[in-house]
Amino acid sequence: MRRPGFIIGLLGAAAAAAIALSLFTGPASVSFRQVLAALTGWASPGSSADTTERIVLSLRLPRALLGFLVGGALSSSGVAFQALLRNPLADPYILGVSAGAAVGALAAALLLPGDAFLPLPFCAFLGAALAASAVFLLARRRSGVSRERLILMGVIVGAFLNALIMLMVALAPPGRIPGAVYWLMGDLGLGTPRRVGVLLPYVAAGTALLFLLSRGLDLMLLGDDAAFQAGLPVEKVKAATYVTASLLAGCVVAVSGLIGFVGLIVPHGARVLVGSGHRRLVPAAFLLGATFLVLADIAARSVSPSGELPVGAVTALSGAPFFLYLLRREGGKT
Amino acid sequence: MSAPVLSAKGVRFRYREKEVLSGVDLEVGAGEVAVLLGPNGVGKSTLLKIFSGLLAPRSGEVALMGRPPASYGRREMARLLSVVSQELPVEFPMSVEEYVALGRFPHQGFFGGTVAEDREHRDRALAMTGLAGLRLRGLGEISAGERQRAAVARAVCQGAKVMLLDEPTAFLDIYHRVAFYEIVARLKEECGISALVASHDLSLCAEYGERIFLLSAGRVMASGRPEEVLIPENVRDAYGVGVTCDRNPATGAVRVTPLRSGGTT
Repeated sequence: MRRPGFIIGLLGAAAAAAIALSLFTGPASVSFRQVLAALTGWASPGSSADTTERIVLSLRLPRALLGFLVGGALSSSGVAFQALLRNPLADPYILGVSAGAAVGALAAALLLPGDAFLPLPFCAFLGAALAASAVFLLARRRSGVSRERLILMGVIVGAFLNALIMLMVALAPPGRIPGAVYWLMGDLGLGTPRRVGVLLPYVAAGTALLFLLSRGLDLMLLGDDAAFQAGLPVEKVKAATYVTASLLAGCVVAVSGLIGFVGLIVPHGARVLVGSGHRRLVPAAFLLGATFLVLADIAARSVSPSGELPVGAVTALSGAPFFLYLLRREGGKT
Repeated sequence: MSAPVLSAKGVRFRYREKEVLSGVDLEVGAGEVAVLLGPNGVGKSTLLKIFSGLLAPRSGEVALMGRPPASYGRREMARLLSVVSQELPVEFPMSVEEYVALGRFPHQGFFGGTVAEDREHRDRALAMTGLAGLRLRGLGEISAGERQRAAVARAVCQGAKVMLLDEPTAFLDIYHRVAFYEIVARLKEECGISALVASHDLSLCAEYGERIFLLSAGRVMASGRPEEVLIPENVRDAYGVGVTCDRNPATGAVRVTPLRSGGTT
């Protein structure tokens, strides 16, 4: 906890290194010089330069950048949900964003005509936003939104949406939904330069907003009454945090599917590094999550020689033991 | 007494069907340490929540520095009034220092950074409550008495002249109780702070409180100096327990000693 600025700088360097590493990972081997040439556009007009350039610039770089944005966004959204709900077990999916996105994605796969894979991210985002709004409005009372009601309504709306998912899967004509199911497992393969370009402003704006809310998030840890008495307009901050964190999660889920565990675990890891103050925690969690997901994606691509694993499986596989370790460590302290 | 910093006139409040406060009148003067006594469930916490603006009275008037709580902006009010209660965040690791520094919020811009003045206030609050040596420890790693002092330090750091304390010593041993009231007394002497303390600690309140309000059945049944209020009849009427009241030979303050149920008063 000594030098948070230094640690955040280190995390930034780690994220950059992970992105660089991912440019070299894949079935085609690419030399350092070729990558450099592709990145700087100095590719000498030769035989293989065009292919490597295409591999690096159109496939690997967008995928790495997508991993960076998704991992970072899920982690800072997780930080916000944990502060909002004052619950270390909260994550970006806890209040229905994931189930809503899944319903949206399946509906797109089922109802939209033939080769309509393109609108899937849009429908998934719409589903996530609708589910999140429903949870918020249902939890709302005249006196404000309580954490307990938010969690309760999140569970109820989530259960309802999960029933819809099962219904859709059961009733779907064969061959209609494999793409959507693969999407549900979490996949960074959808990273195209265009998608990364579309996602970037949303992730940047959402994370910046959470960073600006960081003082409010600090005070939210005191509980509603104490935060109010300490001068915080609690209900406004809650609403702003909820909307921002939900939309942030919804955006990335729409593009990458449901990548679990990142938004739950990375905030805890970042707290160990820089403490609970959100001014440091939001950027640190973003960079840590970005690094983690880019590395997980590298692992997913290189573990199996015959193909790639869903990155969501890798995050959960490597995340669960880490989380257990963290919990045991915490348990030893108190 | 100069203009009161806190005042309640005919304050009534009910939770659904149950009326808790049925016409409470009280005033706390500038620089005064006042104590709110009364049995469990009599509405002490409710009254403090009304003063801090968390709850609105059903009827009657409350005022902080002459104005109703609802008329203040959140941060404006937090610069005038701070609250110490028992809830502390231990779900997440937070150092004593970070926790105390949260008190500076009403003086900082929402989006602004921390400046040297904020750190000075934080350090002074830590020193005043004897927590300077524990500043880097986690809130989960210190004792209950130290945590309660940290809550006071956060209130001190908030820099408000009026403090509400809601049963601050409820879970503390005798050493930490005395230490706690010593801090409150010092805050009054050195910073001119006025305090309204809700408590069950009859004897310590008699020692440190200048004025006592005894709540019973939704009203202030007795108020005044400790020796005026803490008499066996009042205590029996409010709490339903027989006591004997004498003077502490060392300090001269009223001493309240409960009697076994067979005892006479």
